[in-house]
Amino acid sequence: MNEQRPALAISSLALLVILFLQIPVIVVMLASFSETSYLTIPPQGWTLKWFEAVLTDRIYLDAIKNSLILAVGSTAISMVLGVAASYAIFRKMVPGSEALTSLLMAPLIIPSVVIGVALLQYFTLVGMRGSLLVLLIAHVVITVPYIVRSALASLSGIDLAVEEAARVLGADGLTTFRLVTLPLIKPGLVAGALFSFVTSMENVPVTIFLAGPRDTTLPILIFTSVEMGVNPSVAAVSTLLIIATAVALLAAERWTGFHRFV
Amino acid sequence: MTSLRTGFLLLSPLLFVLLAAFVVPLLLLVPTSFQEYRPGQGIATDAWTAQNYARIVADEFYREVVLRTIGLGAAVTLCCLVLGYPVAYLIVRGDPRWRLPLTLLVIFPLMLNLVVRSFGWIVLLTNRGVVNNLLIDLGLIERPLRLMFNLTGLMIGLTHIYLPFMVLMLVAALQNVPRDVEAAAATLGSSRLHVFRAVTLPLTAPGIIAGSILVFVLTISALVTPRMLGGPTYQVMATLIYDEYMQLLDWPSGSALSFALAISTILIIWISSRMTKRWAGLA
Repeated sequence: MNEQRPALAISSLALLVILFLQIPVIVVMLASFSETSYLTIPPQGWTLKWFEAVLTDRIYLDAIKNSLILAVGSTAISMVLGVAASYAIFRKMVPGSEALTSLLMAPLIIPSVVIGVALLQYFTLVGMRGSLLVLLIAHVVITVPYIVRSALASLSGIDLAVEEAARVLGADGLTTFRLVTLPLIKPGLVAGALFSFVTSMENVPVTIFLAGPRDTTLPILIFTSVEMGVNPSVAAVSTLLIIATAVALLAAERWTGFHRFV
Repeated sequence: MTSLRTGFLLLSPLLFVLLAAFVVPLLLLVPTSFQEYRPGQGIATDAWTAQNYARIVADEFYREVVLRTIGLGAAVTLCCLVLGYPVAYLIVRGDPRWRLPLTLLVIFPLMLNLVVRSFGWIVLLTNRGVVNNLLIDLGLIERPLRLMFNLTGLMIGLTHIYLPFMVLMLVAALQNVPRDVEAAAATLGSSRLHVFRAVTLPLTAPGIIAGSILVFVLTISALVTPRMLGGPTYQVMATLIYDEYMQLLDWPSGSALSFALAISTILIIWISSRMTKRWAGLA
């Protein structure tokens, strides 16, 4: 059979578009090493001073710390709650599994900014505004759909006979889940966890309405400081995020074949 | 069997969180949207009004923002489709050795912090930014072009942000097109362009529609990129909601606009999923 490859024009156009996707990344990284506070191409003089500025700045360090606490915390909570709920839905333990799935996925469909203002009004009413706990709850709401989606997708790929075999051999429900089901859905869950982590780590539309002055996160800090103009230390902290993202993506790809789950 | 009890036990923690921190807050927003905001006094709770909703279509400023948001959504969707299709085609039909690296290069910007990506475009597009400096150095322009705080900046930024979603949807669709069908059409004498138009394109239509709906919905609800590249003056619906809550403190108008946005996205997704199901039934 004649296996035709895409025409040269199509391939070149596609490669240009892929280059277009990387351009802001490349520019930010160049800007962060540039001596001048305004970026020129090629950069005039190389320096690490912006990185030093970021890594010795309390405001940045606190924001990074808050972001990591929120991302790790909300992903862990979403993982436990989300996998438990998905398993109950998948095994049809309760009626109305379709409606339940829609409810669990709903935070993905409602625009984030709407969730943000709804939570702002709600937490103001109950007098809980301005604490990391409120942000943690909000981040669980916005990250849990990613866990549920990957858990349900992974579970649907499991042959139920494997679970039944374990039960026949005398394992109780929890043991079966731990030793048989969980290892089978693990790659999907790792992918879901990475999505959840990234979602929490980059969230602005919900966080900005709820974060008090003491619990600013990294994206909020970048978002607000950009309003005062282009600042090379923003480029430096962005470069750190770019490197962390690239490492995480490659690691996830190596361990789980991440691209299959996107 | 106690499977029902186990089920409730497994589901209730998450259901409780979603009820308390998602469903109830959204429902509490409904009464707010029917209250009246009096400048200088705050929110009047003694009277109900539908004015906040009426204003969205009646007021000239609101109408402009809504139309701009919808137009931007349509234009960004079209750009993503036109730019995304060749990329998806190269990934699926190109050299298999390049498939994984190219896919990862598409996923990478998607996983990268949205604020960082938007910041990258600011560095490029601002008055003294990379693009303007380059054009001036090359002697192509004398004074910096206005690339930010207007439609140009938002189009570039939003297309860049949502392009990966479109590519991934199209990759999935193209993978489902059987090569045999294309080969059969080619054997029967069709040119490559004709094979593409008559076979490949119609067979990937579900992916095109799904990708377009996704990009459109994401674009009209975007806050971060429009704010960072559009500034406080070039408003879209999400940035207007943000200002009404944080700057103007006009929560009633903000919540009415929020519902208008949320209900539009839900309707678009609902209608499209019904249409897709019906087509699947016909096929």
